[in-house]
Amino acid sequence: MIDPWIGGALALFFILCACGVVLTAATRGVYPLRALLVFSSACSVLMMFASAAALASGHSFAIDLWSLEGWGRFSIRLDMLSAIFLFAAGLVYLPASLFVRNLVEVRFRGRYPMRRYGVLHFALMASVVLILVANDAPLFLISWECMSVLCYFLVNYEQSARTDIRAGYIMLVMSEAGFLAALVAFLILGRGTPDWSFSSLAGMAQHLSGSAVWGVFLLGFLGFGVKAGLVPVNFWLPRSYTAAPAVFVPVFAGVTLNLGFYGILRLDAQLMSNHSVGTGLFALVTGSITALVGILYATTENDLKKMLAHSSIENAGIIVAAVGASLVFHASGHAVAAAIALTAALYHMVNHSVYKTLLFQGVGEVEAATGTREMDRLGGLARLLPGLSVVFLVGCLSISAIPPFNGFVSEWLTLQCLLRSAVLLSSAVKVLFALCGACLALTAALAVTCFVKVYAMSFLGIRRGDWRHGPGQAGRTQFPLAYLAVACLLLGILPTYVIPVLNRAVEPLAGASAAASLVPPFFSATPENQQLPPAFVDDFHNLGAQTGRHVLPGRGLVVLVRGSEKNPVVFAMSTSYSFVALAIFLLVTWFVATRGSRQRSVTRHELWAGGIPRLLPEMTYTATGFSNPVRVVFQAIFRPNIVEDSRETVAVHFRTAILRRRDETHFVDRLLFHPVGEAVGWLARLLAGMHHGRLNAYVAYTLAFLLIILVLFRLS
Amino acid sequence: MSFWFWHGLKKGVRSTHYPREFESAAGVSPGRPVATEFDSAAEAVVAAANCPADAIVARGSAAEVKLERCIYCQHCHYGNSHLLEWHSDYEWTMAVPGRGKYQPLPTAYHRSLHVIVVDAGDCGACLHEVKQLNNPLYNMHRLGIFLTATPRAADVLLVVGPVSENMRVPLLKTYEAMPAPKRILAVGACAINGGVFGRTFMSAGGVASVLPVDLLVPGDPPPPLAILHGLLAVTGRKSPVLQAASSEGNS
Amino acid sequence: MTAMGSSQLTPLQRIELEAVAAAVQAQFGSGISVERGSRGVALAIRLNEANVLAALSKALFWDIGCSFGGLIVEELSDRWRLSYLFLASGSGWIEVVLEVPAAVQAVPSISAEVHAADWFERETEDLFGLRFEGHPRLGDFILHDQIWPEGVAPHRKPQRRSVNVHQMHFRRRPNPDWRPLLVVQDPGSFAMPVGPVYEGGIGESLHFMLETVGEDVLRAVPRLFYKFRAVEKIAEGQQVSDVLLLAERFAATSSFAHSLAFSLAVERICALEVPKRAANLRVLLAELERLRHHAGAITGICESTALAVAASQAAIIEERLLRASCEFAGHRYLFGLNTPGGLRRDFVSRDFENLTGAVDRAVEDLHVLEDRLHFTSSFLDRLEDVGVVDPSKARDLNLVGPVGRASGRGHDLRRECPYGGYDGYTFETPREAEGDGYARLRVLFQEGYASAGLIHQAVERMEPGPVAAPCDSFVAGAALGWAEAPIGSALHWIRLDGSGVVERYRAITASFNNWLGFHAAVEDFAFQDFPIILATFGLSATECDR
Ligand code: SF4
Repeated sequence: MIDPWIGGALALFFILCACGVVLTAATRGVYPLRALLVFSSACSVLMMFASAAALASGHSFAIDLWSLEGWGRFSIRLDMLSAIFLFAAGLVYLPASLFVRNLVEVRFRGRYPMRRYGVLHFALMASVVLILVANDAPLFLISWECMSVLCYFLVNYEQSARTDIRAGYIMLVMSEAGFLAALVAFLILGRGTPDWSFSSLAGMAQHLSGSAVWGVFLLGFLGFGVKAGLVPVNFWLPRSYTAAPAVFVPVFAGVTLNLGFYGILRLDAQLMSNHSVGTGLFALVTGSITALVGILYATTENDLKKMLAHSSIENAGIIVAAVGASLVFHASGHAVAAAIALTAALYHMVNHSVYKTLLFQGVGEVEAATGTREMDRLGGLARLLPGLSVVFLVGCLSISAIPPFNGFVSEWLTLQCLLRSAVLLSSAVKVLFALCGACLALTAALAVTCFVKVYAMSFLGIRRGDWRHGPGQAGRTQFPLAYLAVACLLLGILPTYVIPVLNRAVEPLAGASAAASLVPPFFSATPENQQLPPAFVDDFHNLGAQTGRHVLPGRGLVVLVRGSEKNPVVFAMSTSYSFVALAIFLLVTWFVATRGSRQRSVTRHELWAGGIPRLLPEMTYTATGFSNPVRVVFQAIFRPNIVEDSRETVAVHFRTAILRRRDETHFVDRLLFHPVGEAVGWLARLLAGMHHGRLNAYVAYTLAFLLIILVLFRLS
Repeated sequence: MSFWFWHGLKKGVRSTHYPREFESAAGVSPGRPVATEFDSAAEAVVAAANCPADAIVARGSAAEVKLERCIYCQHCHYGNSHLLEWHSDYEWTMAVPGRGKYQPLPTAYHRSLHVIVVDAGDCGACLHEVKQLNNPLYNMHRLGIFLTATPRAADVLLVVGPVSENMRVPLLKTYEAMPAPKRILAVGACAINGGVFGRTFMSAGGVASVLPVDLLVPGDPPPPLAILHGLLAVTGRKSPVLQAASSEGNS
Repeated sequence: MTAMGSSQLTPLQRIELEAVAAAVQAQFGSGISVERGSRGVALAIRLNEANVLAALSKALFWDIGCSFGGLIVEELSDRWRLSYLFLASGSGWIEVVLEVPAAVQAVPSISAEVHAADWFERETEDLFGLRFEGHPRLGDFILHDQIWPEGVAPHRKPQRRSVNVHQMHFRRRPNPDWRPLLVVQDPGSFAMPVGPVYEGGIGESLHFMLETVGEDVLRAVPRLFYKFRAVEKIAEGQQVSDVLLLAERFAATSSFAHSLAFSLAVERICALEVPKRAANLRVLLAELERLRHHAGAITGICESTALAVAASQAAIIEERLLRASCEFAGHRYLFGLNTPGGLRRDFVSRDFENLTGAVDRAVEDLHVLEDRLHFTSSFLDRLEDVGVVDPSKARDLNLVGPVGRASGRGHDLRRECPYGGYDGYTFETPREAEGDGYARLRVLFQEGYASAGLIHQAVERMEPGPVAAPCDSFVAGAALGWAEAPIGSALHWIRLDGSGVVERYRAITASFNNWLGFHAAVEDFAFQDFPIILATFGLSATECDR
């Protein structure tokens, strides 16, 4: 009985998308923008509605669109995994749609021809949903290709500078390469399949040989990893995030990045359930390295947008590391551990979408207000944009994994999963787990440094640059940002309600329930909670847990159980309780401070700066200065080249200038992109005949290639 | 390295027992000139005229000393006729005339007094003597007196130097940055009235001309124990012993 | 290591005045006139035209090899008299005198040729309003531009002669738009302000701008003169005896050396013969001051490396020496002893016994301390290769005192230009070539021992007699007095009128000289080394600021 609702919602979604395209394209003046706002928000609500309905009912919705004789069927299916991704997409599409208005009204008035933007926007939305609900390879791949091309157009939307166009171009090339890898993976997987639906592909996967499993896994992993931003195929990401218009980046980071994980999970986790420990380890190690490299570059970055792009890479790394851990646990038969790791990955994916959208929108606002994104030149924004500074702080706290915000929960789960490697047998694997755990712990620590820097250098302190004051915030809605900030908090303090929902997607993949283990009805000690020895539960009660038994909601704790009857150890945490405790603590402090028994007068003085008459902006830490220790410690990775080291003097010895300019080639660029780029350049000269220099032609090549391969396979 | 620790221990406790006992080691203090009876009023006038800092006043046949003005030129100590008697003590903190009775900081500060030292143009001697309080022979930490790096944590502003023009703003800023209750201790002849620098376009002629000084420690420079006495007087663990003459400054 | 270092040192060479005279005369001919100097100056070179100044300075400093002594500016009734002092090693002071009419507002700058003259010219511009053509960075030096408007020249003679320094008044105007001159242009660079009220306990009022991009400091610019009290201006119009009090009290850690240099100058003007006993006593007291100062400097270095026990032990040595000084001379900082003509008091042999006993004990303790420090690798690691000033740079910047000697300079006035009874004494002047923090520490220890040796020699040579020549009448005139203060050379120039009133008083101090060297020499160091570099230089702000 839920099916009509879901089907209706999806149908309505596509209808509204079509209407949106038509209306934004056909109207003029303020109407394209209004159409965009109204229809796009409605679409995102529908996305959330459909997925929420599916998740709530636990019922997958499936429908055949049409079948083409000899080509198989085009069918869609909204299963639990799709639903989670769809929900996350809807969650961030809503503020992202509303946010368009803020930016358009303030800074980009006249710069955005809203009509073209609207068409691309709705088309991308539709293709994203199609990717998520596609139930067969052709529909999935075609939608994927559409999404890639649309992303390219959106990234290049402003087309202001050559570098941006180049960035878009690199992105397109990488997406196409990733697409081809994924295509080949599907083709290997589905050789001899009766149809290309996912279910039959999953059946085919059982018969693959070991090396074919590796091949499909790697092709899929790297192919989809392009979108997810994994090392070593992520060098396009910071470039194009920086180039993309401020209204689009949140979608980029909050939605399309996730599609990469979706692809990996769909192909590598769901369709191929028979992989080895090795593939999982590969994912784990790649993820950990990605996370570390991402956060290192984020920490030392000066451009807010680029910094967030690198931080997206970091988060992608964490997610993939958790996925990898899950695969390893799965392959070695620890279903519960695998389920927990997968839960962590999905949780982190959702969290990242939310706070990254928030942060990117915040940066968009900052740029709109000041005209710059350089942290070295910002400072003191808290006074200029008080509202923004609060929500941005929430975003920074979330992404730095500070309780009670959402990032903490998922990173805690991820790290705890890696610690659970004790259940694994091979000591080599254990060592690898430990190393990756250390890597991720370091990442988490650097993330705090990074976002302390971001917040302190941009929002606190005194203004350093000579940027103009932008228009005030009067009349502009803060709803999108506030909405995201609340989402950060809720996802943070209510993990016990989120995990069971995620579990619906996790259970079929991992073959075990994470919720039963993570969110036991602990205080009631019912038979459901059999994993804990009863004596131990009693002990735990005696330790004081029972004090809250009747007062606190029993589902406040997230528990990671380890230990045996002899050695009952419990790892548990509760962000909801700590949130309550924190709130009480703050209230009491506030009460004591303001209403305390003794009247104290608070006087405010200037900042103490050693007695100099006035602290000048030049005398305050810059973002570069703040992060320089990281740069120095990790010199081996950054490998700065000193491209200029000049000391100028007049009259022989009066220094007038000291300039040391460093040039850094990104780790991945240095090791991979540049060598490959040179090789490709060499190849390209060979194939010069095919070069028209026109993009459409290259896209056409790809589509032609796709058709040829499909035909060939059909014939064979 | 670890052996330093051992070498340190081997030396044993070297700190003075002041204020529990009077420290009488030779050379801890240059002492001070005290009021001296001469045979006649004329002789007292000669003795007073000997003093380049107007620190000696003839009152009848006695030559009285305004210690807060003394710059320790030693002219009344040797090398001249009409010398004054010198006492070799060091407890000579003074209350500021005209400011009523000094209100010590509450007892809560007795064992935790945080001092910020501002060098407002001193010659290095007073500052150096303050620094000596940190060395093991004086070790003012044992009395709960600590030097702090920031005025935000300071209870006492210890000023040395005549307040040079370029230091006026930093000094005022330091005072402003201190939380109440706070006290100002002017250490040395320069901080009291400008000393040899007096009041010029480059020197304010003492801390009192820019800030409300609470206690004075005369001397040029006052020895460490005199400064320690001043710090103890801030909290009332010692009381100011001398009364400064009521006419301030000499400009 | 010391031996290795010494092998790189160039031997010191005596510069003969006749050779100098011949050389400059050959080069500049009619542009200059060379004459025998008087009253402390060995050779006077008068410039007939201003434009040979730079070339002449260059020839003296670079070709002939003199070191730079300082610049003395006098505003006489109708003209400016600028006297550039150069030291011919072993022969005495050479004075290059440039006189220009009072209406002239600018003279050529020699800073491009003789770097050590940089700050002297800036000082003159700030205080006298006399500009130096070709100097790229005048202004905002002693009179901080945050407070003082342009055009104030407080050291000029006031319009009305009757106005004294206590009545002078200058307009001040806080300037909120003041910006520091920053030269580091690396992306993301900033200047970390330190001081003037120190963030680290007790320190003199100094302000630093550490230009950095984080971690490494690319340049450290000291902003001095927070303590400027216009000592030279206060002295004008005062009696010699009052100025002596001032000379003794503007830099107390080397007060005896300054009062000595001052007294020597007055003695030269009045042609006073200092009794032998007084001369020996002066050596004794000056060396006592040096020993005490160096013990203090060693304490500072130990403190800067956070070696608490060593710092405490050095501090005990220093305090004992302070007490010994007080016991011996009645004052812990040796105030009130010097007077033109000799000393103000005499001592008995018991005093000497006590003193030498205390000095011996201090030396013994210093030896123990030095031995231990030599074997503390964590301590040495922090000093070695830190704040390096190589000999060529030290020569370029004309570093003086122990800092200069640690960088291979042989500049020691006691030896190069003997004064006040040092002749006949034998002592070592240590020299090191490395120019790093450790070399400076070694020099401090060696000099401390040498001072103790000199104290013993002085006691042995002590002969009975008066301690002062009476100084009751004054003659008009000017003279130079100098002494090797613990931090380096101290030069005092005095012009008196017939009644003993000081018309111009000029104090040139080692710290002034070395602070310039400090900031020019110290570039590119790690932030955590900054206090160590500062401590090993051991410079005094009050002596620099005056
Ligand atoms: S020591 Fe000097 S200043 Fe002090 S009272 Fe005696 S004569 Fe006066």
